[in-house]
Amino acid sequence: MQSWQCSLPFPEVNVIARMASSGVAVSNTMNDMNFPTIFSITEDEIDLNDLLERITLDSTGAAAIFAGMVRGETRRGNAHDTEYLEYEAYIPMAEAKMKQVAEEIRAKWPVVEGIAIVQRIGKLYPKTPTVLIACTAAHRDTGVFDAAHYGIDRLKEIVPIWKKEVSPSGEFWVEGNYVPKAGE
Amino acid sequence: MNRVKLLFFATLRERAGAKSMELDIPPDLTVQGLKDKLSAEYPNLKASMSSVLITINREYAFDEAVIPQNAELAMFPPVSGG
Repeated sequence: MQSWQCSLPFPEVNVIARMASSGVAVSNTMNDMNFPTIFSITEDEIDLNDLLERITLDSTGAAAIFAGMVRGETRRGNAHDTEYLEYEAYIPMAEAKMKQVAEEIRAKWPVVEGIAIVQRIGKLYPKTPTVLIACTAAHRDTGVFDAAHYGIDRLKEIVPIWKKEVSPSGEFWVEGNYVPKAGE
Repeated sequence: MNRVKLLFFATLRERAGAKSMELDIPPDLTVQGLKDKLSAEYPNLKASMSSVLITINREYAFDEAVIPQNAELAMFPPVSGG
């Protein structure tokens, strides 16, 4: 995010969140064995290069990145066009649950080095990236692809974010179908 | 009475017509009791209560949970981020 600034060199990761003039730009980090973890809900454009740089260590040789974007034309299932999506989040809880997802990734794939989980909110138009999950590791055969896959699946299950779809035929809230269990 | 804050998101916010409200509730009220109370007092919310998710202090909570003092509660549909 252009609005973030690192005040200390890595590995004492300490990111200061600056409120963008457009609204919410919140970031957090945790320092888990000096592995950087970034999780945030933002109204700003997702800056892949910046995020990737911040989760790349001297020992990193691979990153698995998942990005989701607004699909303008849906062909699978109920075919329709989308004008835009409007996202909202319960920001403090969403960031806490993103941190939890990162902790789950680390428990399952201890080889993962850096993790970035970012969701953009607000009104987003087709082709715009809305979410990014990136995991880094020393090598590509370490499970790092699975780690990123797990991250996006869990975000869609437990992180309190919602989107309203606006199409030429009207608008409706997209609702998930996952019911969190105790302790999630 | 126990004063709590209740936040609404997505469809629940639209049906409630508000982002949040403050409520005075009995000290032993459970999540199920809260749902019953809201269904009775706010007919617009009644249809949502069977599938709604509820959090207490930013953690998912279930029907039998007792709502603690000064809790921050939230009510929303299953999430759809990404």
